[in-house]
Amino acid sequence: MEFIPRPKPPITGNESIHLENAYHGYFDATLGRARTVLNDIDLVVSRGEFVSLVGPSGCGKSTLLKLFTGQEIVQRAKHFEVLGHLPSFPDRTRGVVFQNYGLAPHLTVLRNILLGLEFQASLLQRFSPKWWLQARDMARKYLDDMRLTDASDKYPPELSGGMRQRVAIAQTLITIDLFGMPDLICMDESYGALDASTREDLQIFILKLWEKYKKTIVFVTHNLEEAVFLGTRVVVLSQFWTSDQPADQQEGSRIIMDIPLEPHAMSTEVKQTPEFKALTKYILERGFNPKQRLHVASFNADLRHPNSFSSLTREQCAAAQVDGKT
Amino acid sequence: MTELKRSIPVFFGLHARPGMVFGRMLGLLPVAVLLGLYMFVSHSRHVVNPEDKLMPSLHQMYDEMKTIITVPDKRSGKVLFWEDTKASLKRLALGIGIAAVASYFIGIIMGMFPGFRALLGPLVTGLSNVNPLALLVIVLVALGVGESSKVFLIAFGIGVPMMRTIAGMVERMPNELTVKALTLGASQFQVLYKIVAPQMLPRLIDLIRVSLGAAWIFVIAAEAVAATEGLGYRIYLQQRYMNMALIIPYVVYITLLAYASDLALQGVLKLPCFRWYGKSED
Repeated sequence: MEFIPRPKPPITGNESIHLENAYHGYFDATLGRARTVLNDIDLVVSRGEFVSLVGPSGCGKSTLLKLFTGQEIVQRAKHFEVLGHLPSFPDRTRGVVFQNYGLAPHLTVLRNILLGLEFQASLLQRFSPKWWLQARDMARKYLDDMRLTDASDKYPPELSGGMRQRVAIAQTLITIDLFGMPDLICMDESYGALDASTREDLQIFILKLWEKYKKTIVFVTHNLEEAVFLGTRVVVLSQFWTSDQPADQQEGSRIIMDIPLEPHAMSTEVKQTPEFKALTKYILERGFNPKQRLHVASFNADLRHPNSFSSLTREQCAAAQVDGKT
Repeated sequence: MTELKRSIPVFFGLHARPGMVFGRMLGLLPVAVLLGLYMFVSHSRHVVNPEDKLMPSLHQMYDEMKTIITVPDKRSGKVLFWEDTKASLKRLALGIGIAAVASYFIGIIMGMFPGFRALLGPLVTGLSNVNPLALLVIVLVALGVGESSKVFLIAFGIGVPMMRTIAGMVERMPNELTVKALTLGASQFQVLYKIVAPQMLPRLIDLIRVSLGAAWIFVIAAEAVAATEGLGYRIYLQQRYMNMALIIPYVVYITLLAYASDLALQGVLKLPCFRWYGKSED
């Protein structure tokens, strides 16, 4: 018998991500056994949502992304669909922007940005000089937007970390403009190495692109302010929680908060408003504090997004239920 | 206004800066000392025995080399020095070429595709531990004393370890790069020829540079055992006559050839298309 504090939203089949009761872990050599990283993850993301995924270091945000991109296969789950089917190996339907290493070091910045076009161009396009000229123009536009105009003929090893990240972002986003792919974009701390001013520019940039194409974006970030500013929804994944189960079943992270946000404002000035600051502070205090572990039964208050749900068992919140009755 | 000056040692200590000219002179010093020592000992031996063959004078070496470079051989009518050079370099080039092509393609395929790695990995690891010189006799028996056995020895001796190294390098390439390419719409074949193979090209050249020393060992060894011309053959032939006056310049010549081929490969790596290579990659 299941204790369901928050029911599953109606599934229409048009979700970008539908993950239910997912467990994932790795073999840990120091422990000598498998260590759970993701403990019972329930997540439904509709098409066109901009999900900010935050959480303390080591909570498994990147692992969750790897499940979506197909780099890893979920170990145990009741249901798992990305864009309508069980995720296959990485392909062009799901884009990814890594923190590091995403760039081909032997190609110039311009060629790196054109890489997706080189791969996907049809035979006809491949042999059409006009198409290539158009593609080059578009790549140059991206270079300008990314403030990389002067770097177009440099090689990735010659760039700073922030510049490399911008190339990696352009690499993925330009394919949306040209091919309408990918439908799901996973960004793994893509803005981590940017300076404050470039970061704000690119925040506006990704929002504009999102408004234009309404692609689903899962945006992992360490920066709470950025998460709240960008997302239509902030999902907090955290290992700091507790339940009434034995300790060994409390390993790994759960989604402990899922908060809907206002549709996007294009001005970065919202970041200065009291509501904005209050929300960031609230998330920080509830989700990131190792000393204050929230009980699974109390997640309900923070699982506010219409798509959020959690399928708890009686054992997990035996005590809480008694409390609730009395 | 007083000039600020700090005394910097030219030779001693951590902070020494020998400078351009003095640095070069320092480098020449041990060479000059050894050369001088040789000439002195050689000279004193010649005083006692003018026929001394063990430590020929520079003059004797010059005469021997002059003869072999300018005077055609009586039997074949060819200049032996150039015939030797041509024969050895041809074997070397063929062997290295075969090794490079085979290790590049098979290494990349092994590194990229786990199936092929499982298939060929143990064999390549095993073969790379075989001592090619110990194999020499078997090769001679199997392939005969012609060119193929010498070329095979070089190709096998450096090719198999190169293959293993390239497979390892491809395997250690950041997985993110492959994933990124796949998400950008690359096919597996495109990942191979647009992402992996071009990145391995300068590494292959570096590997050849490292393997040159071994390749020279194999060519000289093969020629010593069975050949009718070649630099190694000449050295071992002259050994019978204790003709150090020829052997020593030949050794110097082989050294210079090896050095020149290394410089040439370094030059290839300095081409603009390899500009990205060797830059710091976080």
